[in-house]
Amino acid sequence: MTQYEVKLRLFLFGALVGLVFLILAFQTWYLQVVHGEEYRMLADQNRFREVILEAPRGVMYDRNGTLLVRNRPTYNLVVIPAYLPEERTERMRLLARLAEWLEMPLTTRRGPGDAMALRVSGPFPSGRSGAPWDRPAGDGIGGMGIVPPRGILDMVEEASLLAPYQPIVLKEDLDPTLAARITEENVNLPGVQIEIRPLRDYLTGSLTAHVIGYTGAIPPALTAEYEAKGYAANDLVGLTGLELQYEEVLRSFKGRETIEVDVTGRQLRTVGELVLPRPGHNLKLTLDTELQKVVVRALEKGIRNTERRAGVAIAMDPRNGQILAMASLPGFDNNLFVGGISTRDYMALVQDKRRPLINHAIAGLYPPGSTYKIIPALGALQEGVVTPNTIIIDEGVLWLPNRFFPDNPELAQPFYCWYRQGHGRVNFIRAIAVSCDVYFYYISGGYEPSGFQGLGVDRLVYYAELFGMGQPTGIDLPGEAAGLVPTPRWKRINYAETWVTGDTYNMGIGQGFVLVTPLQILNAYAAIANGGLLYKPYLVQEILDADGRVIERHQPQVVRNLLDYVSPENLALVQQGLRAVTALGGTAEDLDVLGVPVAGKTGTAEFCDNYPKCLDKDGRVKTSHAWFVAYAPADNPEIAVIAFVYGGGEGSLVAAPIVAEILRAYFGQPNEQDQVEATPTPLPAGPPPAGASFTGHFLGGNRWGSSDTAVTGFVLDRRGMPVPGVTVNLIADLEDASWEDPVIAQATSGPTGQFDFTHLDKSISQAWRLELADYAVTEPLRFEIEEGYQYWVEFRGVW
Amino acid sequence: MSLFSRRTWRNFDVILLVAVLLLLIYGTAMISSATQATEDLRYLWQRHATNAISGLVLLMLVAALDYRFYESLHRVLYLLIMGSLLVLLALGEASQGVQRWIGANAIQPSELAKVVVIIGLAKLLADRDGQMHRMRNLLISLGYVLVPMGLIYLQPNLSTAITLGLIWFIMVLMAGARLLHLGILGLGGIIVSPLFWLSLKDYMRDRILLFLNPTSNPDTYYNVQQALISIGSGGLLGKGFASGTQSQLRFLRVRHTDYIFSVIGEELGFIGALILLGLFALLIWRILRVAAIASDPFGRLICIGVASMVFIHISINIGVNLGLLPVTGLPLPFVSYGGSSLWTFLIALGLVESVAMRHKKLAFE
Repeated sequence: MTQYEVKLRLFLFGALVGLVFLILAFQTWYLQVVHGEEYRMLADQNRFREVILEAPRGVMYDRNGTLLVRNRPTYNLVVIPAYLPEERTERMRLLARLAEWLEMPLTTRRGPGDAMALRVSGPFPSGRSGAPWDRPAGDGIGGMGIVPPRGILDMVEEASLLAPYQPIVLKEDLDPTLAARITEENVNLPGVQIEIRPLRDYLTGSLTAHVIGYTGAIPPALTAEYEAKGYAANDLVGLTGLELQYEEVLRSFKGRETIEVDVTGRQLRTVGELVLPRPGHNLKLTLDTELQKVVVRALEKGIRNTERRAGVAIAMDPRNGQILAMASLPGFDNNLFVGGISTRDYMALVQDKRRPLINHAIAGLYPPGSTYKIIPALGALQEGVVTPNTIIIDEGVLWLPNRFFPDNPELAQPFYCWYRQGHGRVNFIRAIAVSCDVYFYYISGGYEPSGFQGLGVDRLVYYAELFGMGQPTGIDLPGEAAGLVPTPRWKRINYAETWVTGDTYNMGIGQGFVLVTPLQILNAYAAIANGGLLYKPYLVQEILDADGRVIERHQPQVVRNLLDYVSPENLALVQQGLRAVTALGGTAEDLDVLGVPVAGKTGTAEFCDNYPKCLDKDGRVKTSHAWFVAYAPADNPEIAVIAFVYGGGEGSLVAAPIVAEILRAYFGQPNEQDQVEATPTPLPAGPPPAGASFTGHFLGGNRWGSSDTAVTGFVLDRRGMPVPGVTVNLIADLEDASWEDPVIAQATSGPTGQFDFTHLDKSISQAWRLELADYAVTEPLRFEIEEGYQYWVEFRGVW
Repeated sequence: MSLFSRRTWRNFDVILLVAVLLLLIYGTAMISSATQATEDLRYLWQRHATNAISGLVLLMLVAALDYRFYESLHRVLYLLIMGSLLVLLALGEASQGVQRWIGANAIQPSELAKVVVIIGLAKLLADRDGQMHRMRNLLISLGYVLVPMGLIYLQPNLSTAITLGLIWFIMVLMAGARLLHLGILGLGGIIVSPLFWLSLKDYMRDRILLFLNPTSNPDTYYNVQQALISIGSGGLLGKGFASGTQSQLRFLRVRHTDYIFSVIGEELGFIGALILLGLFALLIWRILRVAAIASDPFGRLICIGVASMVFIHISINIGVNLGLLPVTGLPLPFVSYGGSSLWTFLIALGLVESVAMRHKKLAFE
């Protein structure tokens, strides 16, 4: 080779070296200067770890401080792929151990000679979240085929590619003993951790499921909304009930700290600011768990013999609108939703046509039947349509003449009273007591042939809305229905038909188009009970912080004072009418609440959800909902109760006993099942002291469909509790002073404090008097009798 | 004897030696930085320094002998190294695994094999000076390297085998081989490459496949990613000596050997990387300068062989660190921790100094 060739080749070699070094320098510059910022972020991601500090969600207590909802620690098995043993056989051995413990497949990929490939046993490893829509599709139900669960190895390998330092949950809610065992062996299990996550524990379960609700994963449709409020994607939020209503209050706020870690995840130091977590606030409810148990038991018993076995019962305090108990049956166990409900359970609940997940107490819409009658009753009095003494004759049917051919009786339309024989002469009080339909046809729609002017639909709507019908009560629960107060305009829009008198008739007795929720009716009766205040019902009375300090106290809220619209006298007359319902001759005369005067109203609302099966031979609707709503003690109410039984039939037969049982329990009286062994102990133990005196009260009287005259009364102590064993003298109050007034009859108050006299003979005396044999009566009871009337009286102790 | 003659030592290339010394100091410092966070590796830099000092003594000894003395030894050396490679293979067969060392942890024959092949090839090519444009000669030289390549590849140690191949490639080109012939050989290589592929060990295939599809092996992918993050996050000036988060918190693995360049990039930044490249450029320039003034083709080809060995190691190691090349375990000359390779490089430089000390022309100028 020539010298020139040697130099040339050496030069070319040098040039190659220079070129390669330039490329290396350029790439270094490209990484460090051009993309330096991105790589610095990646380096920081490596060494800085944000640690989320969790705090518990708020819990709930009932009014007596009984814990209803708490948080239960659950153990999740978590793997951080990057910290698993690097050596493959060691790693496989570790994963195989986990697979055995967790009873999960190692891998479900089909490969040559992969014996695991077809194993699909074992529970779902992950993806279990709170919400049913978050569950993997095709979990074996609905013929969608079986998707084999992914194996541990598959999950770990996938995760180690994407984010090897991100913990992945292999299994949720481990058995605590297994969790303890894995924690103990922690040293031999690099990369495996037990993570503690609090889950809800609903101590009262199905007893209070509708009220309390449940939590679950954020619904996909609301993701953006929740994220805007600072929620993380895998947070659990309230989905129904109080859990949803008070989400903002119950939610806890996470804290966070940033730590620097080395490659093994060991914490080296804390950097930056530490944000402490804040636990959620706790709720103190108005609910009384003991009463709730009674309500559910009574309702269960009440619906047991009905076809559909569905119903609602609610108890509230009419003095402030606090809900004491609320039950909707059939219900569900909200513990099923904790940690994700299985598809099988969820489908069972969703496919039940009675819709157990719905709280029918606030969301069920039903015709109210006769419970609605207080609305036309009060309206008619206030508008002067009737006076308390106006007599309307009920012959069992009212023939409404045809609008266009008023003179052709063959075209007239019959409107029946529920009592086909007719109630005869009916005044205001008796109309309510016996629930006379014809009376309410008259006062609602009027009767043209006799020139009687009724309230008319517009005023009926006005009074219905006064009582809160057609709008939500505003209770602190989500999903409340508004109900329906039909108007002529509504009918034109929805049916393209004109409103006719018959519609007004139906509306007057709570049939036709009227729809209510049980809570609306109860709330209206609570307003009657407390003398006119329509409250906003509520379930949460106090919000407390984690240390038990009251943060917010909910005061009773008056929506409307009825006395701004009606006179107190008229309201009192309605109260009297309701009192008469449970007295002898009333539709709920058998209501058996020991000694506590009860006012109430039955309802038997016809409905047809299965035409024409719901019709009887004569083409009349034979299916009906049973209603009963009551408050007690009648003169100083402290509790109002409603019972509704879907398709239950007669309100007085089906719904009233439920209410009675609830009231008995509330007033501390034994119920039937307890009575077997329990002798009817006089409730306030012992007779009143010797010097005790009583005042007499005449409560009222009404015609009761019998020619007999009767007196029913109660002996009560100052608190309104029954006083048994007191002898009552029935004395003919003769005008002739020369006679010692003769004691005609004697009766002793029973365990309920009740006493009865029947067959008062007008021929003996027109005026009568009631006295106590052994005690002084400061205001003796004097009254005059009419034949065919029933009177009720009361002795109140003043010691 | 000219062993200690002043005239000979006057021609000793001091600049080359200074470049090497700077690289050794640089490497020792970075090794100490990279290992200080790991308890059992903390004093590794001292061993590196010790190895460097003994290696420098070797360099001096090798330089002191006339390189033409090695010319006479090349056959013996070649047979010795082949023999030890064969012994190694036999041992590897027995233990059914990778066998690269003789003795507990002492020396890798495949490292020394590079120097021996450079000497032998230089002799073979020098004997055919001016005739390397003949295909026959080219094939003879190819045969000469294919034997040790094959033995090393069977260890299996793909990267060293490839390094040998590349050294041959550069040396024959510099000796006058025609690009056309090399092209024909390359074509032949491509034709037989499927056979070669089938004979590859799994982990070697994985490495090649990983380069094409980095997500296929999580661990290796992780290493490459962490190297890029380390270098990239260093920026222009770096995070400071012994202050790299990636290396000090041990996110970067094998950081004192294969990924030492990433540590430099992270802690000393682009400036630190440029200084390193500059020292390497200086080193190669000095070797090529010796090649240019060598008194005979044998000396020249030795220098070319050494320059190509150093160059190939640098470009492959840094290329891997920068994510430009598939992951192979080639050390960075003088800087990476590792006894055998450090001695090999220093011995090779001793040869270069020997050539430099005995060039003639310059002495009379």
